[in-house]
Amino acid sequence: MGIGRSAIVASQTAMATINNNIANVNTPGYSRQDVMLELSLSVQRGGQLVGSGVTVAGIKRHYDRFIESQILGQNQVLGRATAFDKALSEMEQIFNDSSGLGLSKTLTEFFTAWQEVANYPEGQTPRLMLFNKTDALIRNATAIESSLTDNIKHINEEVANISGEINTFAEKIASLNSEIVVAETGSQTETAIGLRDQRQKLLSDLSNLANISMYENTDGSVNVSLGSRSLVSGSRYNIMSSKVNIEGNSDVYLDGTNITGNISSGQLGGFLMARQDITDNALYSIRRLVASVNKEVNLLHQAGFGLDSSTGLDYFNALQVSSLDNSTGADITSSSITNMSQLTLDEYDVTFDALGSYFVTDRQTGTVADTGIYTSGAAISFDGMQITITGAVTANDTFRVSPLTSSISNFGRAITDYKQIAVSGSAAGLPGDNANSIAMAQLAGSSIGDLGATFNDYYRSIVSYAGSSSSAASDSLTFETNMMTEMYSQRDAVSGVSLDEEAIKLIQFQRAFEAGARMVRIADEMMQTILQL
Amino acid sequence: MLRVSSFMLYEQLKKALQSDISDLTRKNLNLTTGKRINKPSDDPAGTIRVLDYKVSISLNDQYKRNIQQAGIFLGVADKALGSSQDSLAELSKILSYGDHGTSTKDSNFYSSQAALYRDSLLDTANSKLGERYLFSGYQTDTQAFTFDSTTNHYVYNGDLGAMSVSVDRSGVAQVNIQGSKAFSVTMPGPTPTSLSDGTPVSYSQVTDPNTGVNTITVEIGNAGDLDHDTFTVSNVMDVANYMSFAWKGQDVDGTALDASAVVAEQKSQHRLQALYPVVKDASTQLLQNQTEIGTREAFLKDRSTRLDNENLTLESARSTAEDADMNATLVDIKMAEVALEALRSSSAQIISQSLFNFLQ
Repeated sequence: MGIGRSAIVASQTAMATINNNIANVNTPGYSRQDVMLELSLSVQRGGQLVGSGVTVAGIKRHYDRFIESQILGQNQVLGRATAFDKALSEMEQIFNDSSGLGLSKTLTEFFTAWQEVANYPEGQTPRLMLFNKTDALIRNATAIESSLTDNIKHINEEVANISGEINTFAEKIASLNSEIVVAETGSQTETAIGLRDQRQKLLSDLSNLANISMYENTDGSVNVSLGSRSLVSGSRYNIMSSKVNIEGNSDVYLDGTNITGNISSGQLGGFLMARQDITDNALYSIRRLVASVNKEVNLLHQAGFGLDSSTGLDYFNALQVSSLDNSTGADITSSSITNMSQLTLDEYDVTFDALGSYFVTDRQTGTVADTGIYTSGAAISFDGMQITITGAVTANDTFRVSPLTSSISNFGRAITDYKQIAVSGSAAGLPGDNANSIAMAQLAGSSIGDLGATFNDYYRSIVSYAGSSSSAASDSLTFETNMMTEMYSQRDAVSGVSLDEEAIKLIQFQRAFEAGARMVRIADEMMQTILQL
Repeated sequence: MLRVSSFMLYEQLKKALQSDISDLTRKNLNLTTGKRINKPSDDPAGTIRVLDYKVSISLNDQYKRNIQQAGIFLGVADKALGSSQDSLAELSKILSYGDHGTSTKDSNFYSSQAALYRDSLLDTANSKLGERYLFSGYQTDTQAFTFDSTTNHYVYNGDLGAMSVSVDRSGVAQVNIQGSKAFSVTMPGPTPTSLSDGTPVSYSQVTDPNTGVNTITVEIGNAGDLDHDTFTVSNVMDVANYMSFAWKGQDVDGTALDASAVVAEQKSQHRLQALYPVVKDASTQLLQNQTEIGTREAFLKDRSTRLDNENLTLESARSTAEDADMNATLVDIKMAEVALEALRSSSAQIISQSLFNFLQ
């Protein structure tokens, strides 16, 4: 009867495990479980060792540590690809000229409007039409910049949100670490299998957010580091936070240390990479293009004459110098453009050495545009710009000087009176002289030195970048998703629940249970027989 | 053998269905928009080609509009010069009739005819297109020629400004003919040295480099001679004006050419004879200007035809790069639909199968 009882208990335990497997068939991260049965200790009966039934030695989960660690790694790559694709596909739409967006049409129309003015230089109507086309160009350029900066703003919000999510994961992992340590104390095997599955799922989800590395301690807890800093250590975890830097972007901090530069993958890495990419390429290029249009049109406009004999006027609001101050003791107290024609439309870094010298380095070419001994309040001139830095500087101080940062936010029409449009090229008061407007229209087809291309060619290179980088990001996402699917297949091959399998096992143990019960009944009948003697 | 879990089975089916539906949606988008490229990443290289084609088409359209405007300008100028040519021909005709002793009645008739043609010439020299004077150079808001009552001569108020329009990315075509070039007469020479009666005649010319106006000083006879005469003309209106007054025996200020009627008549005849080669050269000059306009018009027409051809090629290239091949797209959609149907059917088969169905 005891043997029957052990069979019933073992079958019931197995049935419970099977039921649990069936219940969790769709639970992400669940590893199927199996009862481990073993022979009960034999007993001495009539000089013979007789088996005493079956015992449940434990419940094991089907788990492959190698595949799980591969999934953690792949999840980081997939997270990065997902975020990168999301950010770049948003950015791509900004330059989608086939949907009527982008700058190509308005840029072309702006220059063809100068041709209309050339056809009828003394007329009011074509001049007013030129104003309309100019305003359309300004609106489009402003909309593109706003969309790009909105895109970057969304990324910054995502960076802050992900930092918060990471904290939630870190807290849960630390808490599970404690529970696993308590549950497995004194045990030689991984008994807290449900808790371990939960923790593995959290680690997998966390790896989708950022590049983590982890190792398991002997007590069953795991330590997790993120960006070379400790995130979870046993039951303790450090706080992730985000802070806005001088460029207006969110940096991520772990335990008070800025780890932005160490984040290379996961969604956080993808978003940071996309932010850098959009800032350095699309935003920089569109600002450079607009600055170049502004510079070339203004230079030509200044040389021409209006119907009212005006000359030397800017057509667009003049470019302005912006600066980023990365210094504690000094400030840029003035900055201006002194010679528009010398302007390279590059950005510059002003740095200092310990000996008190300053260096103005062109960020695009890497060349030193100017150097000298720093004197507080003395003007520093280079490539058509002049800045004045006042205060004490150290070797770590840097200033970023750019004629591009505000090129679109400040992009506006300086001329409001149509008579002031400098259509005439030779002298004042010649209404039929259209030489300057023809020269202006021909700017559209001219190779611009600062851009190394025509305006439209340069714009096309921005669209090409937007399209090809989005296409590459999408291809990369597809590849990484397929890789992930493949790995999940590998994982599921080991850990996934098959309902058909469970159905077979259900029958298997139901039969075992029935047989065990029948054994008890037979033993009972045998007992009754003896008792009736 | 790879073990297949239920979760994996469902996930794979979902993924396959999503993939097929996404494929079908993308092809449907191509059909609804009629475009193969709906966003830059669909074909980055194709996108920039399409942008290039569109910019070129747009620029070519603008060049065609410029050419059309220039054509109107040149057409009106051509008509004006043609009309001036007619006036000069008539002046030439009455000169040949009336430069040898005519009756007073005829002289008055010729005088009034010359005055009519003078006014007609002035009118055409001051032709306007809209609000613009055609023959004033850059001074399009100023009458090209006006009569100066102080000097009793016609003066040019324009300049040498050459108005151009763009006809392609770097080429321009001049549209205007400056008034000084069309109506101020330059005698290429050789100029006659004597009149039919042997009286010496000389033509000295000075060109103003700022306006292009050529002033011809005509000297008839020798200094000290009774019928010695000098006068200046700088445009065809001056020529007609001198003719008109000469037939009346008067200078352009209305005074008699001489106190003696005989000398005055002599001077009149000499002036009319001396003006004949000027009219002839003016006529030739106008013809040259008309020829130049004709050449420009032919060039613009040729350029316009080329732009039309270029745009056809560009439009065809744009369509090839950007537009969807409708037949191919429809076939693709049909194929995607068949694939989706097959997947749905097989998926339904697979997910309806379970061992649990057979357990009692």
